[in-house]
Amino acid sequence: MRFNDTIVGAAFVLLAAAMIALTFSFPSFPGQNYGPSLFPRILGAGIILCSLVLIIRDRREVKAPWLKLAAWTRDPRKVLSFALMIAAMLFYIFASETLGFIPCAFAIQIVLFLWFGVKPVTAVIVAVAMTLLVNWFFGSMMLVPLPRGILDSLL
Amino acid sequence: MAAIETAFGLVFQFQVLAVILGAAMFGMFVGAMPGLTATMATALLVPVTFFMDPVPALGAIVTATAMAIFAGDIPAAMLRMPGTPASAAYADESYEMTKKGQLDLCMGVNLVFSVMGGIFGVIVLIVLAPALAELAINFSSFEYFWLACLGLTCAVFIGSGDVVKGLLSLFLGLAIGTVGIDPAAGQPRFTFDNVDLLAGINFIPTLIGMFAVSELLRGAVSLDQGSAMVQQQVGRLLRGVGGVWRKYWKNFFRGSILGSLIGALPGAGSDIAAWVSYALSKKLSKEPEKFGTGHIEGIVDATSANNAALGGAWIPALVFGIPGDSITAIVIGVLYMKGMNPGPSVFLQTPQLIYAVFIIFILANLIMFPLGWAAIKSAKQILRVPRNILLPVILIFCMVGSFAMTNSLYGIVLMAVMGVFGWFLEEHGVPVAPLILGLVLGEMLEQNFMTSMIKSDGSFLVFFERPIAGVLGVCTVVIWGLMLWRMLPFGKRTQIVPEGEVTPP
Amino acid sequence: MTLINRRSVLKGAAAGAAGLIAAPAIAQAKFPSRPVTVVCPWGAGGGTDAVVRIIGALLEKSLGQPFNVVNRTGGSGVVGHSAIASAAPDGYTLGIITSEIAMMHHQGLTKLTYADYTPLALMNSDPPGVQVRGDSPYKTVVELAEAIKTAPAGKMKASGTGQGGIWHLALIGWLQAMGLKPDHVAWVPSNGAAPAMQDLAAGGIDLVTCSVPEARAMLDAGKARSLAIMAAERNPQFKDVPTLKEAMNINFTLGSWRGIGGPKNLPPDIAKLLSAELKKIYEAKEYKDFMDSRGLTMIYANAEDFRKYMADSDKAMGDFMKAGGLARG
Repeated sequence: MRFNDTIVGAAFVLLAAAMIALTFSFPSFPGQNYGPSLFPRILGAGIILCSLVLIIRDRREVKAPWLKLAAWTRDPRKVLSFALMIAAMLFYIFASETLGFIPCAFAIQIVLFLWFGVKPVTAVIVAVAMTLLVNWFFGSMMLVPLPRGILDSLL
Repeated sequence: MAAIETAFGLVFQFQVLAVILGAAMFGMFVGAMPGLTATMATALLVPVTFFMDPVPALGAIVTATAMAIFAGDIPAAMLRMPGTPASAAYADESYEMTKKGQLDLCMGVNLVFSVMGGIFGVIVLIVLAPALAELAINFSSFEYFWLACLGLTCAVFIGSGDVVKGLLSLFLGLAIGTVGIDPAAGQPRFTFDNVDLLAGINFIPTLIGMFAVSELLRGAVSLDQGSAMVQQQVGRLLRGVGGVWRKYWKNFFRGSILGSLIGALPGAGSDIAAWVSYALSKKLSKEPEKFGTGHIEGIVDATSANNAALGGAWIPALVFGIPGDSITAIVIGVLYMKGMNPGPSVFLQTPQLIYAVFIIFILANLIMFPLGWAAIKSAKQILRVPRNILLPVILIFCMVGSFAMTNSLYGIVLMAVMGVFGWFLEEHGVPVAPLILGLVLGEMLEQNFMTSMIKSDGSFLVFFERPIAGVLGVCTVVIWGLMLWRMLPFGKRTQIVPEGEVTPP
Repeated sequence: MTLINRRSVLKGAAAGAAGLIAAPAIAQAKFPSRPVTVVCPWGAGGGTDAVVRIIGALLEKSLGQPFNVVNRTGGSGVVGHSAIASAAPDGYTLGIITSEIAMMHHQGLTKLTYADYTPLALMNSDPPGVQVRGDSPYKTVVELAEAIKTAPAGKMKASGTGQGGIWHLALIGWLQAMGLKPDHVAWVPSNGAAPAMQDLAAGGIDLVTCSVPEARAMLDAGKARSLAIMAAERNPQFKDVPTLKEAMNINFTLGSWRGIGGPKNLPPDIAKLLSAELKKIYEAKEYKDFMDSRGLTMIYANAEDFRKYMADSDKAMGDFMKAGGLARG
């Protein structure tokens, strides 16, 4: 998936403009000529400058199509693979505090394994083993406070 | 002297050596798997090293990266897929050699010259770093401001094919770095009253997102693209390596020197070192027509250079806190977490830790020989680990690792957002390495600029008054001039790294 | 804000769900029946981290459950302090509260104040010192003070931490005690004491007001000298450094203090138990040895006195910040 440089450039110009607009609410630095707003403004200007060069270059020389789709976007299976990876992260972000690390990690792995065509037996074995390994290593050895969730009373 | 003895004591402990060995095997594996890079290996190691003492933590990173850079050569020769971007420069050449039936020679040369190149880079590090630190003890915010400028400029100047996109990426990184409390006046910026954003954009989750998650996203849609594995048996690796040495020892030194230097330049790492030294080798060769047909000469240069670059990259990282490549950008973060703030004072305060790093570097390159040997011999088994199992497992590691860095879901949110953003940027030919460098150096740049302005009571001329600051400042301004020249349409464009090849170093 | 809110809601839901399964077990169990999280608002390897880790280790030894230190860093301490204040008040999340809680709400960084916590015990307070370069012409703090007084306003530069940080307030307090304006010496914000000491050695600034242990590496290397400390008594680790009172008869003291606390409305019996344990730890030899080895200054206050201490500190810091033009909102 690739937008041409005109669209990318325009998007970054808007982003940088919003960033510069926000700097006007920053307080000044008592006793100094330059305050917290100086750097963001310079950077915003830099982003705008680069984006404009991109746009001009694209319009004058390259003239790429507005959107060029990569080959995989025409294969629904692969689009779903892509979406599943992102969905897995979202699922963990929203569910891990409630369900806990172990159920979430296990669920994510099982679903992805099966979708990617791992044999069910292998999938279950690896998912169980990796979940427990990670939980042991990070949770017990490294004392990372992994969410305990519904297993709180068992652990 | 006492510090060196202490350093040996710190390194030669069972626990430390065990960590090094484990990290070495991890690095070998990650490096050998196409699609998993040395930077990714480091990013995934950080959450683990977070809880270790400084010496094993740094040892793990040093060893894993050294192994990964070598191991990337293995699939390059066997599958024509570089295991890490650092091997991309000579992947075709290696594969051609394999097709000619010279897999043994190719792997033997890669192993021996990687080890020697690595050691060369470490020697450069050991000689130069303490001397530079002696000089840097007199650096004030003026010098650091120019150093940061110079570092950022180098990143764009050498790092990428498209200067405009490299510069855009750098500005984006610097802009992302301004989120949080500003380093001078202590005011919150772009936090939208969110407590987590007040802490700023945490570096490690960003890095895991940009280098690992984006790679997973690409991997998820290209799972079916495997290459046919060559069916050649690996035989006697060292046969013929002596002959190559006698014929091409000059190439080894040229590659190693070039590699160390490029490594030490901020923003350019092993992959660029390999591309540049391969190109130079071809240019200076007596038989350039043989390049690309399975000729060992360029491989000698490039495989020495990419391992030498690793040691070189630590020079600016340790002495100035300016990363030489993406790996040392992570290392700097780790040093801060361990209370070993990089800079000349670390050579004063904890010289034993610096020496310990040196010792581990040498050790890592020495054990690369037997471990690399084993990796080559068992390459077929390693490369057979299916990527459809690897992908979800790495995703779990990424999430736990990011979580461990902030001890909250914020780390994972950040990782996911940055992963998608990084994927988007690379899809559009915007390299992410300058962004990471900008994120690391942004605060240093702004802090030193603001403090310098306060010290000079608002005068710009003071930035050139101190002698070293003056020299650095003039250099920076000259390079900026050159860059503007290159950005203009009539400026001369040179491109060593082919389009689309500049992936995370 | 949204993240924290949603997280605490989810946490509440999770606790509720877990409670349904295991309510009887928890109700009967003696505190602590599972691992306790101790939040540290500052990074691993720093002074606060060191203090909280030794306390955590000693609590674990006496109470028999792990006390896991979790670093929630960033935002000048706001992130960690928020995490302590917004945790469930069940005793299973505690934290180390540092002097920044008396400062950051004056700066407009957060709405949190000391009143959002259940104080348990004050454990440590480090006074600032006055450091100059090793080859500086000022041999005593009196000579330095004279030089400051005669110099035009803003000519001398000092550093030690960020703008409006604790060591900045120390400078303001000292200047005021000498009858000078708070900005008579310009403050150069730095990213902590270590870079400030480095800049001092490099000749970029004239003096650094940070605690003496923080300056130790440069002092030991002969690159810097400590002229005085702003404390009531000398530090036994640095016996040669006089107090401001001894040297200049200025009765100004200030400290970067640290204490243990929990979220507001901790159950009284749990708070009482923890306070008693912390007192025992303060009196234990391990704690004293550790603090001495680090050059950290010990000071104790029980829960009630700690609350008063925080209130006093809040007022004092607020006054300094207003004087220095650092307060907002």
